[in-house]
Amino acid sequence: MKIDHTQPLEYGTHQNQLNILGFWIFLGAEIMLFATLFTAYFIMEHRTGNGPTGPEIFEISPVLIETFVLLTSSFTIGLAVHAMRIGRKKAMLAFLGITLLLGLGFLSVEIFEFMHYYHVGATYQTSGFTAALLTTLGTHGAHVTLGLFWGLSIIIQVAKDGINARTANKSFIFSLYWHFLDVVWIFIFSFIYLKGMM
Amino acid sequence: MKELFPAKQVGGYIFSLVLTIIALLVYFLDFTFPIAMSILLVTAFVQATVQLVLFMHAGETEDGKAIYTNVLYGIIIAVVTIIGSLLILIWDM
Repeated sequence: MKIDHTQPLEYGTHQNQLNILGFWIFLGAEIMLFATLFTAYFIMEHRTGNGPTGPEIFEISPVLIETFVLLTSSFTIGLAVHAMRIGRKKAMLAFLGITLLLGLGFLSVEIFEFMHYYHVGATYQTSGFTAALLTTLGTHGAHVTLGLFWGLSIIIQVAKDGINARTANKSFIFSLYWHFLDVVWIFIFSFIYLKGMM
Repeated sequence: MKELFPAKQVGGYIFSLVLTIIALLVYFLDFTFPIAMSILLVTAFVQATVQLVLFMHAGETEDGKAIYTNVLYGIIIAVVTIIGSLLILIWDM
């Protein structure tokens, strides 16, 4: 395997470069996936039937916690990639660990939020609005859940094998995924919650 | 310790926090709907760009052009899907 040392390690081999480009193409498809969910949400937004409306069930504090926790985790995984690039394995693992803990924190608040919706009578079957809302939030939450397991397996591999072209590539691709989840959340935060509460 | 916190990343993080707080103004202050939506559109897309360019290193290698083209394509399809559906089903045009 030929490693090009003029590039960061995660791009070092031709295969690595292709992996990263391929993952970006997957993220392009993910943009479109979430676009369809947002489409359904915007259409169903006011079709609340006999169920509650957005302003009645949205609460600002859990949403703010989720937003700041996920934004911070996006920052810490950026630091993990930076630590990886300067060859600091321990720091990289620490930042990855913090990222996943923040991800877990985000998920806990989201589960708490879903329980709140259930208690105020906003379930999947209540109305077009709640169905579209919970599908959109749930799809994002499912992505975060997957990310937690993926991230954990990355931590194990880096801890075992150290930073090499293979693990660096995998870690970098995972960081792309995690940043992307924060990008999606920015739009959920702005156009579902803030728009719904203003 | 300092070399673990590059200025670019810390700056990007602080900028994202500021943008989030600006977006929050629409909750705390009473803007008209068009102004509030404009604020949200600007803060959301600027923040997404910060993530893409600063945190995701999108333009870093020779594949940068292909990556940006692909993301732009995704965004165009997203906007056409959302606005197109709203035009037909909600705004009755």
